[in-house]
Amino acid sequence: MSENRLQDTREPSNETQTSLLSRIQADVEQIRIKLVNIAEEAPRPIKPIIVAVAKLLTWTFWKPVIWAIFSVILAVITSAVIMELSGYNSSEAFIALITGALRQFDRVLFFSTPLIFTGLSVAFVFKSGLFNIGAEGQLYMGSMAAAILGYIIPLPYGVHPLVCLATGVLAGALWGFLPGLLKAYRGAHEVVTTMMLTYTAILFTQWLAAGPLKEPGEFQWNAQTARILETAELPTIWGNYLHAGFLVAIVCVIVVAFILNRTVMGYEMRAVGLNEAAAETAGINPKKNMALSLAIGGGLAGLAGASEVQGNLHRFYNLWSPGLGFDGITVAVLGSNNPFGCLLAAIFFGFLRAGGNAMHQQAHVPIEMVGVMQGLVVLFVAAPRLVQWMADQSLDYGKWFSVEKARPILFIFNMAIVLYGACFSFSLLGETQLGLAFIGISAAVSILSIAAFFLLFARNWRGIIVSLIVSMCWFALAVIGMGAGADTGFIFLVGLVQAVLSGLSLLLVKGVGQSKGGGA
Amino acid sequence: MEFSMKRFLRRDVIIPVVLLASITILLKLTYDTVDDTETFYALTGWLLEATLQSATPLILAALGGMFSEKSGVVNIGLEGMMLIGAFAAVAATYFFYDPWIGLIVAVLAGGALAVVHAIISVKMKGNHIVSGTGIILFAAGFTTLMLEVIWNRKGMSEQVAALPKVSMPFLRDIPIIGVAFDNLSPIVYFTFVLVIVSWYVMYRTPFGLRLRAAGEDPSTLDAAGVSVEKYRFVGVVISGLLAGLGGAYLSIGRELPAFGKQMTAGRGFIALAALIFGNWSPLGVLIAGLFFGFLDTLRFFVGFVPAWEWVQGYSQFLQMMPFVLVVLALAGIRKSVPPKAIAVPYEKEVKA
Repeated sequence: MSENRLQDTREPSNETQTSLLSRIQADVEQIRIKLVNIAEEAPRPIKPIIVAVAKLLTWTFWKPVIWAIFSVILAVITSAVIMELSGYNSSEAFIALITGALRQFDRVLFFSTPLIFTGLSVAFVFKSGLFNIGAEGQLYMGSMAAAILGYIIPLPYGVHPLVCLATGVLAGALWGFLPGLLKAYRGAHEVVTTMMLTYTAILFTQWLAAGPLKEPGEFQWNAQTARILETAELPTIWGNYLHAGFLVAIVCVIVVAFILNRTVMGYEMRAVGLNEAAAETAGINPKKNMALSLAIGGGLAGLAGASEVQGNLHRFYNLWSPGLGFDGITVAVLGSNNPFGCLLAAIFFGFLRAGGNAMHQQAHVPIEMVGVMQGLVVLFVAAPRLVQWMADQSLDYGKWFSVEKARPILFIFNMAIVLYGACFSFSLLGETQLGLAFIGISAAVSILSIAAFFLLFARNWRGIIVSLIVSMCWFALAVIGMGAGADTGFIFLVGLVQAVLSGLSLLLVKGVGQSKGGGA
Repeated sequence: MEFSMKRFLRRDVIIPVVLLASITILLKLTYDTVDDTETFYALTGWLLEATLQSATPLILAALGGMFSEKSGVVNIGLEGMMLIGAFAAVAATYFFYDPWIGLIVAVLAGGALAVVHAIISVKMKGNHIVSGTGIILFAAGFTTLMLEVIWNRKGMSEQVAALPKVSMPFLRDIPIIGVAFDNLSPIVYFTFVLVIVSWYVMYRTPFGLRLRAAGEDPSTLDAAGVSVEKYRFVGVVISGLLAGLGGAYLSIGRELPAFGKQMTAGRGFIALAALIFGNWSPLGVLIAGLFFGFLDTLRFFVGFVPAWEWVQGYSQFLQMMPFVLVVLALAGIRKSVPPKAIAVPYEKEVKA
């Protein structure tokens, strides 16, 4: 790979560039050390503030934040491309999304409430080195338990909601404790068991709602239990939607952060998560901690279900959750498993949900676009090295540009045309009347164009070759299209521009490379 | 890998025995309640046909999952890959009026999504489960979005041409169960071929050996001068191709050739269960897939026998069976051994 790189990494300008970056880092580090020193002498009330500020200056804090923001930006760009290709106006959609969400901020928080719980659930379990992908099942169990207790026994105001929430927590915790026990004492992988128990829980609650606990009366399209008593409802606190469950969620964020960072139990769990063998050597019982952490995670997910039933749905509907438990994984991932990060990530996804409705009404983009965006965010967050790699490549491009001008500019133009070609060929995929060969070549062009873009981006000269091949494909497309009776002048133009650009780059690259080789 | 009868009996004999025993008991009970030979034969034939039909997508996706997991990459995105396969099959058939093109496009679409998973989890060393979750979310959102873009409908696409059904010349002449082979999609038979091919590839070719080594002991494979990344990448892509095929069967291989929102309905996860229950081996996957398909059919079957209609109130428990069985299996009734290096990204040692 390295011999294909066009830029020599030993250029003198590199050193100034890297030293600049490292100088900034060193400066920040010095400020941090100074702050820590000040904090030691500072009077008591100010001390924690200074320590907190000092923490904010570390790279370990900023790295996940930058990574998350970058992933969101990439996901937004990609979904904008998808929207444009499916014929929607992306800028209008995003403006509708943002203004819609800001106008109804109570809805944003309303949508984010269950996500905070499930995100915390996944994040908490992750801290002890396990993966709780079964938050959905725990949520169903919790919501069912809360719904049953909500209508079966009458209790006074104030006590009833708390009792219901507590049963929800208990049911979820039991449903999480089971895989925890299996993991700790039988070695059953928790990813598989929690997932399987999720579907078991969904089917079990479905049976309960359609069978023994079915609300008597007229025909129901979707099975449901009886409405919970008014005493069990969580009050609405802001606007038409936001219920007191949000306050519970905020409390949970703080409690989880406290447990993880300030208690022996949290310390032990984190130790087990970082290195199980080392923790065991240090006298920590990893089995107990694993089972316990899954139980607590399950309890948090159960709380999500209970608060939704008590604050929003007021009864258990069969299959009511639109994948809130699975969304918890995305929340935890985006929040990099930090309780406060989860809070922000949940609010972000709630923002998307609330804005999605406005986007649907104003820009007529289907609400599923939000799901696509969410999936893209997760995919980008899952690949930390992608962001790293792109940052590195961009930096190298900058360096290359500061050394010489002609080749980088040509490369950038080439990248632009290739990227445009990729989008254009995607849009050609809809022209099915032009025949199979046309569509097939368009598909090939779009895939090759993307490959060429990344090769060019990595400053690999093979990208130019691929780009040349793509331009030939454009000519072929123009000919086939003309044969089928379509006006293909524009396709021909794209091919011509690309051929000229890549031909020029190839000449320049090869020519300069040879002359350089001759000189050395 | 020597074929050892002892090992085979110890490990893989339980499911077939349970399967055969339960089928025999069921048929005996049916015979007693129906009390009419003609109806009984018809019911038996239907049971076999429906079992094959609902087992096919499970076996295909689980086989795919096997290629990925044997190479050391967890693929919980099977559900998403099936979904995109099901969608692509219908979309391509809609545009080209030819279900065979739809089939090819579906396989490629599943593979394309698998490439994304492979780039993230193999090349970029991301978390396999996070990536898989992203794949599921993306596929669910994307297919529903495109459903609305292409057909301007919610929930269900227009009907397209289905793959032609074949009638197997000799099998259909078998006395009682022959009816089952009269009207099946060729993908069903192809699945059985694929199981045998996968077994051969996995245990009798250098490729299979290296693929398994990538999942069991990647550093040894690396020391032998073989690229672990390459084999893992290929394993994941194969899993996407097969899952895409399974999805295509779901949409254009059956009675109602159309795409419905979320039409896989957790089958990707049942396939994952079949993979674990089948102990990560092609034959095990086949048997487990048939078993789970049988369980899935059973809840409709009971509706045909008047005396058993009460069971339908408990059909959720039948649907629950695959999941419960896997949890029980993992809890230690039956030993299941996943590939050793599964879900661990392989880092080549950096030169000092």
